[in-house]
Amino acid sequence: MSDHGSGPRALTDSTVDITDMFVFPSPEQSGALVLILNVFPLAGPTAHFSDVVDYRFRIRPVKVPSPGTGTSFAVSEKEYIFSCRFGIPREGTGGTQHMQEGTCTAPNGQTVSFRVNDDEGSSGKGFRTFVGRRMDPFFFDGPAVIQSFAARKLEFKSTGNNTMYRQNVLSIIIEFEVSTMFAAGDGPLFAIVGETVIAGRPMIRLERFGRADIKNVVLFPKDADPVNRDLEIRDLFNQEDAFKLGAAYLGAFRSRMNANLAVWDNIDGTIDWPLDPRGTHPLTELLLADFMVVDISKPFAEDSYFEIEQAVLKGTSHKTCGGRAPNDDCMETFMTIMINAGHGPRISDGIDKPAVPATRIFPYLVPPEPNPPIPKLPKIDTTKAEAIDGT
Amino acid sequence: MELDVASIFMTKSVDDEFPTTHGALALANLEAQINGIESVAATGRITLSDQAGFIDLVLLRGEVLARIVDYEWAEELANELTRYAPVNGAALLARARTRATFHRFADAQSDLDEARRLGADAAKVDAERAAIFQAIGQYEQALTLYIEAFERRVDFNSLGDLATLHAECEEITTAERFFSESRSCYRGVSPIPLAQLDFKRAHMWIVQGDLKRARSWLDSAVRLLPGYAPAQGHLAEVEAALGATDSAIARLRPLTISSDDPDYVAQMAHILSQTACSKDAREWLDRATARYIELVARHPEAYADHAAEFWLGVGADSHRALGLAQKNFEVRPTRRAYELLARIQHSVNA
Repeated sequence: MSDHGSGPRALTDSTVDITDMFVFPSPEQSGALVLILNVFPLAGPTAHFSDVVDYRFRIRPVKVPSPGTGTSFAVSEKEYIFSCRFGIPREGTGGTQHMQEGTCTAPNGQTVSFRVNDDEGSSGKGFRTFVGRRMDPFFFDGPAVIQSFAARKLEFKSTGNNTMYRQNVLSIIIEFEVSTMFAAGDGPLFAIVGETVIAGRPMIRLERFGRADIKNVVLFPKDADPVNRDLEIRDLFNQEDAFKLGAAYLGAFRSRMNANLAVWDNIDGTIDWPLDPRGTHPLTELLLADFMVVDISKPFAEDSYFEIEQAVLKGTSHKTCGGRAPNDDCMETFMTIMINAGHGPRISDGIDKPAVPATRIFPYLVPPEPNPPIPKLPKIDTTKAEAIDGT
Repeated sequence: MELDVASIFMTKSVDDEFPTTHGALALANLEAQINGIESVAATGRITLSDQAGFIDLVLLRGEVLARIVDYEWAEELANELTRYAPVNGAALLARARTRATFHRFADAQSDLDEARRLGADAAKVDAERAAIFQAIGQYEQALTLYIEAFERRVDFNSLGDLATLHAECEEITTAERFFSESRSCYRGVSPIPLAQLDFKRAHMWIVQGDLKRARSWLDSAVRLLPGYAPAQGHLAEVEAALGATDSAIARLRPLTISSDDPDYVAQMAHILSQTACSKDAREWLDRATARYIELVARHPEAYADHAAEFWLGVGADSHRALGLAQKNFEVRPTRRAYELLARIQHSVNA
């Protein structure tokens, strides 16, 4: 979940499968912003980045909408890109462990080289990077959310089942001084999208990430959609430019979101987000613009996910940096907003923190879980498994 | 059997037209996916659909690296899955795939019927069913299902399926067009699907006896995925037929270690038997014979075909070959199976 396996393409090629993105002001360094892009769910020890994929962050200045003009942020045409490319691994000295190297190019044109899994990381003027295998910080009872949608009632338990518990991912972590990368006068609000694209021309977008679980929780279920009940829509959504959705599939995305958001809203038996006369859900336009918004003038916060968007919805001023920190229980925040608009109790999935919480020191995400012993035959928790698949 | 990742990071492959992840990276990542999911499974937190996906990954590794041990493992996993979740469509679909892999087509069909009844995804069930129809020579039924899939979505998979069916029916011009269209539709970066497609195209040209064309597609497949054992094996076969025996032997030698499929050992025996290395040939022959006997006992439907070819050829036991070819024809009454049977009968009668 989050964005793990968010479409057929991601499911068949883990190297392009973005699992998560985190964006937050550095808790270590004033005036710095941290970007984290995780790929490759359940990354075993031989997991590598692809040598033909550009792993990148696209960043654009945005402004909150003027009062009475809806919920869509005004997105600038100006764009800053951090781009990471990887080579083919070569044999390490004295052993069979293979090292992969890569480069990260910053928006100011500076490029730094790094070695994957190098604990020292790498740095250039105004920015530093760490790239390598880390423990997956995501925590959420994904199976229960699927089951909830299917049953049209909340199926969360007091103790949730985090299927990503102590599993690993491949992480790209960048921390940079904002003043060295962005033009004076840009900001303080920025919208960020993480992407995997085929490097070179023509550029083909494989996956993208703006907010957690937009694809797997909001777009994936088909049965409520009045227009396309048999369409796997996530890869179509993945291919789109988050800052400028094309016209071809916009109607399909809107229909799916309107339908599924209405199901989530009504899952507690109460409608908190009445649809407008055209059947549009109040969250649809906001979520269709699938990017993460952060205010770099505000200090680090561990629980600020979606706060800027909530302020926009209420027509008030935001108070936090927004974005998303690794320990933020963002899914509970998001589920609560979808289900009761914050009018009711906080929705809990029974999991409140990562298996091992992130630190406040670069590179923030904790080292990977060493491989547990591998049994010949994996055991299946059948009570859960059967329930998940609705049988 | 451990995948020797260290030995496969040696060559660089870039297809200018279709940039794909380096083949060695792709194989290492397939290994990493399998290891990662095994770790989750060890904690008991795996979902049923993840478990079904895991079985697919193990089958894929088995196919790419020619590891029968992976097919057997996948079968064990699928059997275990259906024991735990006997009324789950995804579980039955997974078991159908493993049964079809071992050419137990009737069992696989019955799993598919049950999977569909239990609500498994119709498109996935039909895709499996079509592949089985094709394997057993019921081409009209396969074509109907492939066309339905094509009408739902024109993409790499639907075009590729039509290409392989037309190739099987020896409608070469049509097959070539679908192969090309399928290739041009590919939008991923994993080299594995492209290498598999090129391999199927090469196989079509081998059957047609055009070894030069076959070689060019096999070259493409191994350039994309150097560790792709069946492509390397067929390339060795083509090279040997074209007289490049040293190159063929160099390709086969690593396969005889990394793969537990006796085809490569049998090929070594065949090539060496035609040279002065008769003692070496004898050793390879003994090894192939022992392994075929073992496999035919364990998976008669799946290995009757190749074992019959082996005993008709370098194995030099036409009577044994005949029984296996008859068995093969019962399982897959295709033109190829008939021709094999006829060749063996001719040999026995001669």
